[in-house]
Parts: sequence; structure tokens; C-alpha cells
Amino acid sequence: MMKDVKINAYQFLVLVIFFTIGTSILVIPSNLAAQVKQDAWISAIIGTAIGLLIVWLFCTIAQWFPNLTYVQIIEKLLGKWIGIAVSILFILMSFLYTADLLYQSGTFLNIHAMPNTPMAALNILMVMIIIMGVRQGLETIARSAEILILVFFILFIFLVIFVAPEVKFENIQPVFEVDTKAIFTSSFFYVAISTINAVVLLMIYPAFIDKSKQAKTSFIIGNLIGGIIIIVLTLLCITVLGPDRTASEIYPGYELAKNINIADFIQRIEGLMAALWIISLYFKATLYFYVSVLGLAQILNLKDYRPLTLPLGMIAVALSLILYPSLVFHREWDTTTGISISLLIGLFVPLMLVVAYHIRKIFNKGRNE
Amino acid sequence: MKRCTFVLLILCLLLTGCWDRRELNEISITLAMAIDKVEDEYQLTVQVVVPSEVSMKTGTGRSTVTLFQAKGETVYEALRKMTVDSPRKIYPGHLQMLVLGEELAREGISESLELLSRDWEIRSDFFVAVARGVTAAEILNVSTTLENIPANKMFNTLKTSEGAWSATNGISLNELITDLVSDGKEAVLTGIFITGDQEIGSSKQNAESITPAARIQYDHLAIFKKDKLVGWLTESESRGYNGITDSVKTTVGPISCPNGGKATIEVIKFKTNVKGKINNGNPEVDIEIKVNGNVGEVQCHIDLTKQESIDELAKIYEDELRKNINQTIETAQKKYKTDIFGFGNAIHRSNPREWKKIKDQWDEKFSDLNVNIKIDVKLQRMGTLDNSFLEKMKD
Repeated sequence: MMKDVKINAYQFLVLVIFFTIGTSILVIPSNLAAQVKQDAWISAIIGTAIGLLIVWLFCTIAQWFPNLTYVQIIEKLLGKWIGIAVSILFILMSFLYTADLLYQSGTFLNIHAMPNTPMAALNILMVMIIIMGVRQGLETIARSAEILILVFFILFIFLVIFVAPEVKFENIQPVFEVDTKAIFTSSFFYVAISTINAVVLLMIYPAFIDKSKQAKTSFIIGNLIGGIIIIVLTLLCITVLGPDRTASEIYPGYELAKNINIADFIQRIEGLMAALWIISLYFKATLYFYVSVLGLAQILNLKDYRPLTLPLGMIAVALSLILYPSLVFHREWDTTTGISISLLIGLFVPLMLVVAYHIRKIFNKGRNE
Repeated sequence: MKRCTFVLLILCLLLTGCWDRRELNEISITLAMAIDKVEDEYQLTVQVVVPSEVSMKTGTGRSTVTLFQAKGETVYEALRKMTVDSPRKIYPGHLQMLVLGEELAREGISESLELLSRDWEIRSDFFVAVARGVTAAEILNVSTTLENIPANKMFNTLKTSEGAWSATNGISLNELITDLVSDGKEAVLTGIFITGDQEIGSSKQNAESITPAARIQYDHLAIFKKDKLVGWLTESESRGYNGITDSVKTTVGPISCPNGGKATIEVIKFKTNVKGKINNGNPEVDIEIKVNGNVGEVQCHIDLTKQESIDELAKIYEDELRKNINQTIETAQKKYKTDIFGFGNAIHRSNPREWKKIKDQWDEKFSDLNVNIKIDVKLQRMGTLDNSFLEKMKD
């Protein structure tokens, strides 16, 4: 029954947008501003551009085998045993990030809305809807994403319009104060969490998409739209809060929403705006979780992945609670070890696949002649 | 099955609560907060609303607010310690005014602000002011007329006066912290003080008489160097400061007429542009001011039917404004040696490379900074009259 799942190119586009925005919307503005101050928005632009190149690489790999998922492609190109080892790494990463996202959504709510609620309670609630979504299958996830993207964009446009009166363009001057090298290195983290991690989407594309030709454009355009949202948000944070405050806030986007005040009438609506973060975190976590259970099912040659959802979901909650001893540790881990894992799985492995593919091609040609 | 799920969902709605719920009768809403330094400890005072007195129906004529006070080594400690006195936990989410004691301000304010920017409940859009001559706690201890809640009166007075008179400046915590952190701009805060009899001031009776025995008023601007208060500007310098930093919304300015006597210019639009540049290795600042105004009051003999007289008045206002601004800049440059105008930031914006070189000796550079002022005054209207009735009384 897994084979029958098909979503269309537009639905895939929506999923890609959510995946790209995901956690970046929370952490990227402050991370970039901490490194390059008022030039953070330039870093975001460059990060998005680099991201498009990487997405193009993913698309290339995907189009060689339009009917296989990423785990199957790895097995086909790298052989059974190496393939399985690499796939397990891939699934571990995806699963680790599921727990990481649970931690992030729990922390966000803990800091800004419910400081005395145990994180376990928040994470269990979150994982329950994630499991529910994944059990319903990809089509349901995609359709609900289609609906919620409207909510997301309406809220986002509200946010932009409402904080626009507070924008001070002096805050982004002087432009290009730091050197080009710093701008490039700072965009690294952004590329890692919003684009390189999108390697997990290769489990959905191309195998589960009905027209894989269009889906390639969806992948690229989705990444671009997600990138533009991050760029706009970073620019708003810098111009409204100033580079120093953007850097020191843990979640500057939320602080931005706190600044909304239209004629003392529309104000204190940041609680509503938090829906932006929760929606995008939910879809990113769901995609990670879907990929980990689906991948595991394929490695184990199971007919259906559904039996895995509940136990893995429980493990994810437990993992999210023990993964990081403190928020500081998490932020440090994210920008050091996290990047390395992403680079290994999301960039090194795909490049290895490209090499393997071409070696096999030459090898096959030689044998045919 | 379906019915079962339905019942479960209904139960979810009805039986669950929120972990972090706090009912309105469990919190005390504080609208104003005062921080003083007393013997190396922070003394925190909060002005808390008494809900039953604010509501129309149940008011019994007691005071609408009450004070709680506690001391602690840190501000947070003091805030929590307050619960030994207050029956409800202090909720600072609606804070409108923060008053800092002058003594604290002279020792440095930054440490006391840390909690306020870190705490998740506090929004940083309230105004900050410095108590002049009295402790900050005493400022909160005065009942007010017109606005039932003193904190609201302080907030609204500051908002109104900065909009209509422009010698005060409503500075929010955000702006203050930005100024404290920035290399190229020092902070200023508006002063607040009490006139009259403080003894009666705290009683309800104070607000009941037509002329309250004690009043809270705003003073001029306090100048900071890093986070320490170093002095006060005079009223005209405060207005000069607001002019330079583009904080003037509307104001009025008295001028002398060409043939003696006085007139008043009503400013309806005031736009300042500050540009920094490096000229032969020396920093320089250009200030460009555009003023749109009306002739608001004429107490002298001048023929208002002629365009020349209007031009003349505009020229006089321009000169006086220039004098005022020069005077303000000189005070900051010579007397306090502190860049409260953000000229450093202006230079940083225009030439980041040169700024890096002069950043460390900016205080000295600022003292002999060359400032070019360009003012353009346009007087458009003159109220409802042309020539004043004074003109006819001449003979």
C-alpha cells in the first residue's frame, strides 16, 4: 500500500516551504546577527543562493531513479551492506532531528508562554499530533500543509505589515561592514539547517510525487520561497530591533511580534503570532519523523511503516528530554556538532552517491562493450 | 467508536486546564516600578492596582493603587521577596513606567535593567525616567488627579508633553538599552520630580482637592556617560537635544520681533537629518533641519499682510533655533564630553572603516567635532487672523 501514495507537485512545494522555514524562523536571525551584525540579511541572501545549488544537487540525484526513495537509491548505488550502514546513519540523523525539534518547540513554549509546565507535557502533546499525522500518511500531511500554509502566510503578512511602521533603516547601515568571508561563513549554519537537512525530502521526492518533472521546480521554488521568508524576517529583526538586540535575543522573531502596536489598539498579539512558529515547527518535525519511520521500514523490509510510529514516537519524546542538559548546550551543539552531522549526511553522502553513480556508469559501459 | 471519540474530545475541552494558568485574582498587576540603591542593596518599589477600586461599581473610595517595597542584592530577589508583603504575586506584564533613583543613576543603571530585559513577562515598551531630587520610591507615592492611577498619569503626561512641547523625551527600555550598548551614542532619560508637600501627596486627599498639595512633574533631560548619570540639561537644551535627534513632533517657540516685543512660532513639522562624514581625516557632522510652522501668537507690531514680515519672522526663528542647537551641542561637547546625539553612529554609518580607527578616542574627538547646521524654516499660516488687534491699538 505504500507504493500507492502520491502527492502532487504543489503539495510538495508547500512541504518544502515549511521544511525550509522550519526552525530557521526561530533561530536564524539571532545566529546571523551575532556573527555579522547588521549585514545578517546579506548572509541570509547568500545562504539562500548556496541553498539553491544544493537543492539542484539533490534534484539531480533524484532524477536518476524516479521511482526509488533515498534509502533505496543508497542501497542501489552503494551495494547492500555499505548502503544499509549509510541508510542507518541517514535515519539516525532524521530521528535525532525529530527529537531536536521537539526540544525546540518545547523550549520555545517554556520560555515564552508556559514556564512552569514541564517540557515533557508539551513534547508529548506535540508528538501525539505528529504520530497522528504520520499514521494518516503522507497525503494527509500534504493536504493539511496545503491548508495551513494559508494561515501561515496570512499571519506572516500581518506580521510584516504591523511591524513595518517600526522599521528604522539606519539600523542596517553601514551595509557590508564585515568582509565577504565572514558573510559566507556565517551563512553556513543557515544553509545547514534549512537546506542541507532537506536531504530527508529525497525520501518523498521523487518516489511519491505524481509528476516528478514538475516536482523538481517545486523543490527549487519552495526552497527559494522559504529563503525569502527568512530573509524578510531577518531584515525586519535587524531594522526594528537593531543588530545588537537581534543577536542577544534567543527568539528575535517573537520579540518582533511583541513590538507590534498599531495605535494602542492592535497590540500584544504575539501569542497569536506564535502560531507561525508552531505550524512550521510541526511540519518540519513531522517530515523528519515520517522519513525516519519510512526509512526504517524500508531497511527492515516491512510492508507498512505504521507499527513503528508509536514506539519511535515515545523514544523521540524521551530523547528530546535527555538530549540537551541546557539551552546553552543545545545552541552550542547546533552550531558545531549539528553542522558536522548535517554536512556528513546531507552533503558528503549525496556527493559520494554522484561519484558512485558515475563509476558504475563507466563500469557498466566497459562491461557492455 | 465515533461516539466514544466525540465524548473524549468534549472531555478534553472541559476537564483540562492550563498548567501555567493564573487567574486575575491571583496576581497583582503592577503599572509602575521604582528602583533605588540603598546601602548597596536594590530597593524595589512597585505600584500595584487595587482592582476593586478601579472598577466603577465596587469602589469604596480608598486609594486606587498601593505600594509594595522590598530590598535585595539583585532586582529579581527583591521582586520575589515582595511576596512576604503582597498577598498576590506581582505581575509586571503591564508595566508602564520605570523610575530610577538619581543615586542609582549616578552609580550606573545597566545592572538594574538586566532583569527587565530578560524576564519573559515584561514587555520592554514602557517608559524609563530618572527621579530628580527625591528617591524613585517617593515618586510612586503621590496620588494624582485626572488619571486615577498615578502610573497612567506619568505615562500619559510624558507621552503628551513629548508630543506637544518637546522638552521631555519618552524613552522606552528598548531605546535605552540600544543607547547603552551602542558605541556612538550615549543615553539620555527624562527627569521626574515632585513639587509641593509630599506628606499629603500620598493620601487620597491629595487628589481630591482642586490644587493638589503635591504633584509629579517632568523635568529636563538627564545626560549619561556609559550608564552613569553625569548631569542635567536645561529646558532649552533639552529642546535642542530633541531637535537634533529628530524627536520633536510639535512644539512652540517664542521669538523676538524685529521691532521689539515677542511672537510665538508654532512648529507643526520638524524633521532632522544627521549625516556624518570624514573630512581630511577629521570627523564632521552635517545637521539638516526642516521646519514647517505657523505664526502662533503675535505680541508685537508687525505687518502680517506682507510676505516680507513672514520671511523676517522665519529668519529670526531660524537664528534662534540655530543658537539653541549650537548651545546644546556646546554643552555636551565642552561640559560633559559625552555624545548624546548619536553623532558617532552617524559617522559609523557613513564611514565604517574610519570609524573603527577613531572609535576608541571618540569622547575626545567628539569634543572638538565640527558640526555644520543647515536650517530651513517655512512659515505657512498664521491662525485665524492676519493683522493682530494690537496693530489697531497702536494709535
